[in-house]
Amino acid sequence: MTTLVSPPATDGTTAPRRRWRDGGFRHLHAGPVSLRVDSRAVVVSAVLLAVVVVGGCWSISVGEFHIPFGDVVREVTGIGGTTDSEFIVQVLRLPRVLTGVLVGAAFGISGQVFQRLSRNPLASPDIIGVTSGAAFGAVLCIVAISTVTTSVTTGALAGSILTVGLLYVLAVRNGFSSYRMVLVGIGLTTMLNAGTAYLLTRSELNDAQRAYTWLAGSLNGRSWDYVRPLTIALILLVPPTLMISRQLRVMEMGDDCAAGLGVSLTRSRALLALLAAGLAAVATAAAGPVAFVALAAPQIARRLVGERSAGIVPAALVGSAMVVIGDLVARTAFGDTELPVGIVTALVGAPYLLWLLTRANRIGRGG
Amino acid sequence: MTDATTGPDIDRPAHDVRLRAEHVRLAYDDRIVVDDLSIDIPTGALTVIIGPNACGKSTLLRSLARLLTPKAGTVLLDGEQIRKLPTRVVAQRLGILPQQPIAPDGITVADLVGRGRHPHQRFFRQWSTDDERIVTDAMEATRTLELAERSVDELSGGQRQRAWIAMALAQGTEILLLDEPTTFLDLTHQVEVLDLLTELNAESGRTIVCVLHDLNLACRYAHHLVTMKGGRIVAEGPPGEVITETSVLEVFGLDARVIDDPVSGTPMIVPIGRHRVPATDPHGNRVAAASSNGNGFGEPTASL
Repeated sequence: MTTLVSPPATDGTTAPRRRWRDGGFRHLHAGPVSLRVDSRAVVVSAVLLAVVVVGGCWSISVGEFHIPFGDVVREVTGIGGTTDSEFIVQVLRLPRVLTGVLVGAAFGISGQVFQRLSRNPLASPDIIGVTSGAAFGAVLCIVAISTVTTSVTTGALAGSILTVGLLYVLAVRNGFSSYRMVLVGIGLTTMLNAGTAYLLTRSELNDAQRAYTWLAGSLNGRSWDYVRPLTIALILLVPPTLMISRQLRVMEMGDDCAAGLGVSLTRSRALLALLAAGLAAVATAAAGPVAFVALAAPQIARRLVGERSAGIVPAALVGSAMVVIGDLVARTAFGDTELPVGIVTALVGAPYLLWLLTRANRIGRGG
Repeated sequence: MTDATTGPDIDRPAHDVRLRAEHVRLAYDDRIVVDDLSIDIPTGALTVIIGPNACGKSTLLRSLARLLTPKAGTVLLDGEQIRKLPTRVVAQRLGILPQQPIAPDGITVADLVGRGRHPHQRFFRQWSTDDERIVTDAMEATRTLELAERSVDELSGGQRQRAWIAMALAQGTEILLLDEPTTFLDLTHQVEVLDLLTELNAESGRTIVCVLHDLNLACRYAHHLVTMKGGRIVAEGPPGEVITETSVLEVFGLDARVIDDPVSGTPMIVPIGRHRVPATDPHGNRVAAASSNGNGFGEPTASL
């Protein structure tokens, strides 16, 4: 099917052509399998992974009961037998940190996919209503049914996917425009937040208090019961997201270009939006709508890696680092009061959003 | 449609028509732009579509590339209905360079050209030796190989357009559609782009269709010229047959003299306009416009 541009080279007899470097990409070949890897993204990801691991261990080590760093490493890796702090590490602090890692990764990926899909940094799940939809669904379940994890997760999933459906009907169906999607999303966010507030006023005091802490975005008391379903959800959602996100690098060259290059726009957009909404929903179900992670993580990742690849993995790791370190700060920096992690990420994230908005206006982008 | 003429075969072996539109109606929402239009794209030729603004030429090109589904009628690619073919299959046979593609921030020329390989790649076949060879070929043919590691943002208009054409070439299709590939380029770069398209057509027999604005360049470079007005084809065929003073007046509402291009012998359109034109030229021939408002269908002006 492919046609040579220049006359075919007769093997071996022609002078070697000028080689070109693929600007920081490595081409790996093994039989029929070939990969094109962004070496900068690999280095950045490795550093970020180290940050997450060190931050996580540090977070396990500090607290009311201090655990030496060496013991933490022994407990987490299982090398060198158990220590006195087995209970605190294995039951209390490790699952909390792991929940943070997974939640941050899910928000980071979700944000990256939505932002790339719409070529708009504001089109993050927390701005366009996806997270609010999940929160509304979850609060509805907490108030009306029970606080069992599965029902909260189901509620969050249903809420976010319904929101994506509404977004599609209101903003995408008659020609995709990221500007309209953001505006409609802001409208949906407001409505959903009002709905959540209404539910809280109608609920029992106990439920309301529980829901309220959860709404601020908290990792408090997250046990293995949260880690397990979250892990399963990520195992189900992340690989297909990675696969389909390859389409993003041609989708960002414009709709006509992407369609001309063989992308089924409607299908790819719908699948990516649903996967990203699913990720935002499971993360919200586990830790509440932790503010600004989905908005900021992809932007930070893109400044670290550049625009060259879809950057799903770096965005996931930035998200993890934000939540893990945010939780560490929330637990330790304010004396005896433990703050929900969402307050810390909001304190850092809101100024960042403002900066992004002023900058977006100046360079005429973001709309 | 009654006055549409079918041009004689161009001077190369005529293949079966691979791309054809049959009675298509094209519309954006409820606004019909093109109605009941049929066209055969001559295989292996360089076809140029011209016409005034909003005549539906870009819309036609988009429908030929399956970017726009006709409300009625069909577009056939290799005898099959193009909208029933999988997107990826279409992308392996037909490439399109849209009017204003977006170059992602900071992307290098090689990366951009490499993205043209997308329809041939899979998750586990991200960069085959074929990809490597074809991308190199595409950059060589467009003389962008020396720019491979440069960022697209820092290229000149002409270089950037060559990089985009290289991207479309890397797709490796035998049919290539280009929507106004010379718009916003200065004359030198327009000629450069059209020379490049001519080479691509001559060297590998690619079927090329492009929409152009410059009539004289269209006449010089097209094997097959299609003129459109108000959503229909007015005439098609070799430029020498399609372009006359009458047809320029009819299609563009422009009083003009059509002379032989002193360089190529193809038709050359010299617009008359209302000002700065004496009643007679230095040879004593009458010049002034037959109709001064440019809309009427006055008598054709005398030719040389």
